Amino acid sequence: MATVGIIVNPNAGKDIRRLVTPATHTSDVTKVGIVRRAIVAAAESGATRILLMPDRHRLAERAADGLDLNGPHGECTIEIVDEPLTGSRFDTIAAARRFWKEQVGAVIALGGDGTARDVALGWPDAPLIAISTGTNNVYPSAIDGTSAGAAAALVASGHVDIARVGRRSKRVTVRIDDVVLDGDEERHVSRDDLALVDLAFIDAQFVGARAVRDPNTVRAVVAAVATPASTGLSSIAGRVHPVDRWEDGGVLVRLGFGDGRRVRVPLAPGSFTTLEIAEVRPLALGENVEIVGKCVLAFDGERDVPVSERGRVNVRVDQSGPLLIDVEATLNIAARDQRFDERTQSTTDGDQHGH
Amino acid sequence: MDRSPTDISVDVQLDLHRRMVRIRLFEEAAGRLAESNRLPGFLHLYVGEEAVAAGVCGALNDDDHITSTHRGHGHLVAKGGDFNRMMAELMGKATGYCKGKGGSMHISDTSLGMLGANGIVGAGSPIAVGAAFANRYRGRGQVAVAFFGDGSTNIGAFHEAANMACALHLPIVFACENNEYGEFTPRDKTMAITDIVDRAAGYGMPGVIVDGMDVIAVHEAAVEAVERARAGGGPSLIEAKTYRFYNHHGVQNLGLKYRSDDEVAMWKQRDPIFTLEDRMIENKAATRDQFDAIWAELRADIDTAIAFADESPYPTPDQIMVGVYTSMTGAQ
Repeated sequence: MATVGIIVNPNAGKDIRRLVTPATHTSDVTKVGIVRRAIVAAAESGATRILLMPDRHRLAERAADGLDLNGPHGECTIEIVDEPLTGSRFDTIAAARRFWKEQVGAVIALGGDGTARDVALGWPDAPLIAISTGTNNVYPSAIDGTSAGAAAALVASGHVDIARVGRRSKRVTVRIDDVVLDGDEERHVSRDDLALVDLAFIDAQFVGARAVRDPNTVRAVVAAVATPASTGLSSIAGRVHPVDRWEDGGVLVRLGFGDGRRVRVPLAPGSFTTLEIAEVRPLALGENVEIVGKCVLAFDGERDVPVSERGRVNVRVDQSGPLLIDVEATLNIAARDQRFDERTQSTTDGDQHGH
Repeated sequence: MDRSPTDISVDVQLDLHRRMVRIRLFEEAAGRLAESNRLPGFLHLYVGEEAVAAGVCGALNDDDHITSTHRGHGHLVAKGGDFNRMMAELMGKATGYCKGKGGSMHISDTSLGMLGANGIVGAGSPIAVGAAFANRYRGRGQVAVAFFGDGSTNIGAFHEAANMACALHLPIVFACENNEYGEFTPRDKTMAITDIVDRAAGYGMPGVIVDGMDVIAVHEAAVEAVERARAGGGPSLIEAKTYRFYNHHGVQNLGLKYRSDDEVAMWKQRDPIFTLEDRMIENKAATRDQFDAIWAELRADIDTAIAFADESPYPTPDQIMVGVYTSMTGAQ
């Protein structure tokens, strides 16, 4: 069974950053088109089963509507997995977990950095193709659905060995220890979390509209990936101390008065600001950083978890992120192996479609 | 590292909270009065959606304009509406905002920039565009906000308003309250899209989705949209995902069963007022006693308003044509 799973975040690419910056709006119609292309290409390239994440916008249903994937080149079924819907990011997490259980061979996820993070929360080792349809897109790439669908099927069917095209990505592993009020009682809570690009410590009281709009509220950033070619919080570390996606280690950047550096950063797409840099510290893989005190943690560019003044956050960059599939390398190998050559019925050995 | 938080101040948080509690108490009281047949006509309660009106109106100046919907009490309260005159209007008394002749769906206070609730679905948006046009023409730096529901975006008036606002680059914010139902019909039975914000790009304006049960999220987006409009950046659309706790109209709503109990319960767990209170207490920005005092103070204001309305006279028959027509002479 060559199973491909597709996750599409209906909420990606529609938040407040469209108001404060020229960030791109990604409509449902655009997402449906990408998913539909991915489905067709996956079936064409050897997938025998395609699982789709359900969502309240019915994007998966609309993308699969009317498609007949049974033809002379093979047979493929499409299923929208049965999971209770919340209309929130937890739908993505639940779908990734379900795909893990269903032994999916490759996952395609449409969204931004936040969506990729949610996939990793549901399935830490997911074999993943992340397509950028979000606001901050450091982790995912601009890949057409057709290429993504083909590559996912080639990997899921075993025609291209994932050992040749999959590479373990880094992540920021986070441990939060805090004290919260439960009625009138104080309660100690601990939780593990992760980011795939960076974790930022924000001087704020609320998660609110999630985006970090005031540069003066950013206290520190721990980045697994820091590229000056990015926008958003990741651009802070990226423009101060770049860390490549595949480079061992990460970086800690503290903001405020310190070493005298003032850096211009695009904190949101198309919007630049000047930040004072207090400290830049390269981090080895596994090296722990502890930051204490009141803040809101922003994971991969979005405020998400409030921490009280008694909270302790321990962070490290390690190599335990999803297995990121190189789409171009996958298609290159398949082409060289003549996987795309048309074969007559008599010469088709059945192996062509992996079933 | 020792810099203070720079996000929304405690004063603003308390202001947003007060606006929401005022709406909740007014609507709950109106619901009780309607149940006991003390209010004539239809009553569309805003309970559950308070964060939208409070979050947006909290970002406006006193002289900015808003237009409203058939579910309009919350907008007027959030803009500073007077409980006494509101309650009197709902009871049809001469001391009401419309001298007792308009009722719930026409309630307005132009002195507060509230240009009227509106019984015609979608009719508020073109009025807001007109206000925005006048505001720019007069050059006073005022902004107009059109509150509207998801269902009204299927109405031609909305599309004409959005198109004209964008074509003329007017200082306006379209604030959509997407509560997922047009009266008793789920949104997906009447439109092929899920997010109203997907319509914004078609007119050439930015559109954003916010959690309409989170007053801070709504307020953050509203501040940005209003500042943008005031600075000459043109229109924008905010879609607040929200929910009304009561039915389309009244409280019992003819006993129609179009939403599941589980769905209603799920949304009630996200009550915007209690969510804000819990967070502020956790942040040590306020105490439970402080909130209790605010509720008590505003409950007393409601009791006063009900007494005021009860004691007020009905309009006399000779007033029937007064205020129906106007002339251009002396028009403001």
